[in-house]
Amino acid sequence: MIGNDIIDLQQSRLESNWQRKGFIEKLFTVEEQLLIKNNEQPEIMVWLLWSMKEAAYKIYNRETKIRAFIPQKLICNIRQQNDLFVSGNVTCDKNIYHTRAIVTKNFIHTIAVINENELNNVIEIERKEVVKDSNGIPFLSSSFNWQKPVSISHHGQFEKIVCLSS
Amino acid sequence: MNKDELIAKLKTIIKPYTTNTDAYDNLTEETDFINDLNINSANLVDIILDIEEAFDIVIDNPEMERMLDVKSAVEIIETKLASK
Repeated sequence: MIGNDIIDLQQSRLESNWQRKGFIEKLFTVEEQLLIKNNEQPEIMVWLLWSMKEAAYKIYNRETKIRAFIPQKLICNIRQQNDLFVSGNVTCDKNIYHTRAIVTKNFIHTIAVINENELNNVIEIERKEVVKDSNGIPFLSSSFNWQKPVSISHHGQFEKIVCLSS
Repeated sequence: MNKDELIAKLKTIIKPYTTNTDAYDNLTEETDFINDLNINSANLVDIILDIEEAFDIVIDNPEMERMLDVKSAVEIIETKLASK
């Protein structure tokens, strides 16, 4: 299973004021709030953590069928940060989701998977390759792989559609 | 405040975050903030903060979890106002 989330940073500046009183406290755990506070670029940390939660929630929601606004129950842990990726995980109840994020000047894109090694098998596909079932859940349309789950994320000027290659 | 007044007040709160004006104009208790009004999930927290300010109430995490549609929002606000 796969989940992904893209954040257009220019768009987020128009849509959200993360410095608003109560914003951080409602969305993030105390540990996450510290990560934001102590970061050189708190704005980037806010949206990195948010995109990790959103990508993980997409898997959680698809597998459990539970729909809820639970940002503080999706607990982020950042494990490693290098020039290319920020890798970490998100836990929710007893579930753990492994994440890999790309952070650029213009966007943050996070992918979440269940098995960590699946992070190496992620491919981007085009919208025309996607079909949706009667519940609006997206799948890859290829006849051999018709049950292959797809995750679509769109924000501002960016859209990312991903699935697992194997 | 009766339910119609409450919904009217709620409607002015969610307006700036809504991108689907048709669904907004035809808003009912069944209207879903994300699926119908196309509200960005990060803006749900703004709606919750705006509700807290406008109605002078505090919405805790278990209530926030259910804040996905007009009906739940109205229920939560009514309960909070009643216990004031």
